Amino acid sequence: MAEAEVEVRNPSGLHARPAATFVRAAAALPIDVRVTNLSRDPDKSVSARSVLGVMGLGVARGHRIRLGADGPEGEAAVATLAELVASGLGEDVGGV
Amino acid sequence: MSTQLRGLPAAPGVATGVPWIYRPPAPDEAARLSITDAADAAAAELERLAGRLRVDGRPDEAEILDAQALMAIDEELLAAAREREVGGLAPAAAVVAAGEAVATTFEALEDPILSARAVDVRDVAGRIARHVTGAPPPQLERRSIVVAADLAPSVTVELDRALLAGIALERGSRTSHAAILARALGIPAVVCVPRIVDASAAVGELAIDGDSGLAVLDPDDVDRDRLAHAAAAASSRRAADEAFRGRPLATSDGHRVQCMANVGDPAEAVVAFAAGADGIGLFRTEFAFAGRATGPAEEEQAEAYARVLRAAGDAPVVIRLADIGGDKPLPYVAIPEEANPFLGIRAIRLADTHPELFATQLRAILRASLQAGRAASIMAPMVADAADVAAVRRLVDEARSAVPDAPSPRLGIMVEIPSAVLLADQLGATVDFMSIGTNDLTQYLLASDRTNPRLAERQDPLHPAVLRAVARVVEGAAAHGCEVAVCGEMAGDPAGAALLVGMGVEELSMDPTAFGGVKRALADRSRTELEELARRARELGSAAEVRELVAIR
Repeated sequence: MAEAEVEVRNPSGLHARPAATFVRAAAALPIDVRVTNLSRDPDKSVSARSVLGVMGLGVARGHRIRLGADGPEGEAAVATLAELVASGLGEDVGGV
Repeated sequence: MSTQLRGLPAAPGVATGVPWIYRPPAPDEAARLSITDAADAAAAELERLAGRLRVDGRPDEAEILDAQALMAIDEELLAAAREREVGGLAPAAAVVAAGEAVATTFEALEDPILSARAVDVRDVAGRIARHVTGAPPPQLERRSIVVAADLAPSVTVELDRALLAGIALERGSRTSHAAILARALGIPAVVCVPRIVDASAAVGELAIDGDSGLAVLDPDDVDRDRLAHAAAAASSRRAADEAFRGRPLATSDGHRVQCMANVGDPAEAVVAFAAGADGIGLFRTEFAFAGRATGPAEEEQAEAYARVLRAAGDAPVVIRLADIGGDKPLPYVAIPEEANPFLGIRAIRLADTHPELFATQLRAILRASLQAGRAASIMAPMVADAADVAAVRRLVDEARSAVPDAPSPRLGIMVEIPSAVLLADQLGATVDFMSIGTNDLTQYLLASDRTNPRLAERQDPLHPAVLRAVARVVEGAAAHGCEVAVCGEMAGDPAGAALLVGMGVEELSMDPTAFGGVKRALADRSRTELEELARRARELGSAAEVRELVAIR
């Protein structure tokens, strides 16, 4: 199982716009990636392809999320999404 | 006979029309499309509406509709709907029920931006249901004021703009997308209007004033005249305020007053300085605590505070310790249920049971100061007396011994409890500054619950009792060289600001959008005139009389 943890730095967390960007990227991947909001509810995971699921995680700025996927393509899929989140999903997340 | 309902202004301008109550169509038994096909049709429709918004130059709102298009084909929503269909519901009802379940979980999210998306989810489900039954999209037939509990931006876009005169919502807020879109499209709007949906059902005409928040049911000629005058005055006022935005805050004889900003997170601080703030007079820190399972870590807070200090450069920054209480419970702060949370365990009163909450925050503030190479001022909310100040000072001293190299912070208190007003001459000797929180002070002084809309008339901080309280604080503090600021809404109200400066307040902290109006109000009056005005105002009998005397809008 491939896993990655990443902090969400978008000013308003994963609200509609960045969540949509994230979900579109996930839908283009060959396998399903599961998302967990470690800062809010570490026991709940949703499909990265569900915009309602991702928004329902209540990811706010500064929250850490975990991305996980099984199978031979899991590693690349998780890395792709982790990088996308770290880069701000098309929003300016500024320097540190 | 006309009836007036008072809400909040959301988009400027006056509008009149027939009330058109928007309710998502009730799903019936008819099923012309399968849930899957209806979902695809709804998604295509939302993408088309998003395109219309892009043409209007509204890319931000267009993206909300794009996200809604994704919601419409969200496999989890559709699976939940099909499950309910198998369970025996008609397909349209199944979609609405599945959407309602998701919307409810959204509303439970602590993050206000995400919980406000519940209206978009309901809109998506209603849209799919409409395509299932083959019902036509909602249509205006006459020039109308759209009335609803809340409104998704997609509805605003699909209505005929030539007939959409205004928007009146029972819920919503100034920052909801319905309000932002209304402002962008120049459609007058009012929000948080109590009972407007039920009240509009039986009236033939509805007028709204998007500058004052007023809704008038069945307006008569007098109402119409008044609204037209108000609209003209508001529009010239906005233009005049704009001209003053970049100038210093000063009286006509050059008495300079600090023009500070109230902000709620680091991003707002950046905006405040761009708007010309002399400093941050109130940095609310609750943002760091809300919407999470555990308390924020010291490093995380320190980083947020350091960002504000860096944005400020050398300008002063006042960080208020967390004002957390029973009205908005947090999962990691156990507060037993209270009958009156505003009179309960709130703000620094939590330090008895949760000292680590404040110890962590204080260390974070000191670390941020160390990082930024300059001190932030620390302000304690809900201080009642000298014992409270002593308790806060102990916490500050402990934090300082943990971060010994940090520059020494100035310590201040919020004056919002009436006891602190009466004890201002004592408290002034124990702190560097006081900042009067006129919203809570008015609530406590006049025993009028801020959250009760029926007491709205009794919440005016221009009440002579509040003015006398401010004068007393200024006098008590002056003896000790303690500075006095005001950070309540009164400071951002031109009439309030004039009175405060007339009473010797040297720092006004407000929402940056109020800068222009307050600067203009002070610019054509001398300090002596304002002192005389404030003296006379304190002798009047009601807030209404004070407003009439000051007559600045």
